Amino acid sequence: MKIERDADGGFVFAEVEPPLVELFLAIPPAADPGGSRAAQDRLFPDPAAHKEEALSAEWNELVRPELREAFENATATVEGDLEPLAAGRDELTIPLEHMDAWLNTLNQARLALAARYGVGEADLNRAAAYPPRDERDLAVSQIHVYGLLQECLIQGLEAEE
Amino acid sequence: MNATQTKTKSQTQTTLETPWNVVVHNDPVNLMSYVTLVFRRVFGFSKEKAEQHMLEVHQKGRSILWSGGRERAELYVQQLHASLLLATMERANNP
Repeated sequence: MKIERDADGGFVFAEVEPPLVELFLAIPPAADPGGSRAAQDRLFPDPAAHKEEALSAEWNELVRPELREAFENATATVEGDLEPLAAGRDELTIPLEHMDAWLNTLNQARLALAARYGVGEADLNRAAAYPPRDERDLAVSQIHVYGLLQECLIQGLEAEE
Repeated sequence: MNATQTKTKSQTQTTLETPWNVVVHNDPVNLMSYVTLVFRRVFGFSKEKAEQHMLEVHQKGRSILWSGGRERAELYVQQLHASLLLATMERANNP
């Protein structure tokens, strides 16, 4: 895979190999906490560590829906950018103005995967098993690859400053 | 109520209001560079100050990013949650 910046500061990923295409396309579903209570709790943590009942109730009613909508909008932006890969092309462009949506969605995906599969610091400090033996190994690989992608985007944003 | 009385009442309320701490907790999944970026954006910190807080979170498990009134603390926690950091607010005198 080749990574370049376009004239507008966007990232262009070219010659994306099939296994990486699969990992890219797996970002939106990974970001969805679905029915996993652990993933829901991590993406929507209590604002006062369950020590302020009134605050938690107000938060769940007013803030949580806003956060959910913001996360869904970010994921929808990423899904739109992934369309060329979904259509079978090996190239992906992330416009500069979509960078925040990507950082957010990649983080949703990493956190939700870690919560869903109980991935902790010790797992992340070990090399990912290759080939993956099970879904959990695959989740660890996804967390690593999405982290590299996030790091790449953050460095790009810092270079813009 | 005249302007002086209003000002005095407001000052008294502000003085009596319990300050809240905005705390960010360690999360092994979030990247250090990402946490630093979020601190800079949400609190307007310099890169150096943001990195100091990020390292405190990483090494000590938590860092107090801001202290003050409840409404502003809620806003900061909401912004940190929007960036998926593990943040809470707690009464400054009763953590």
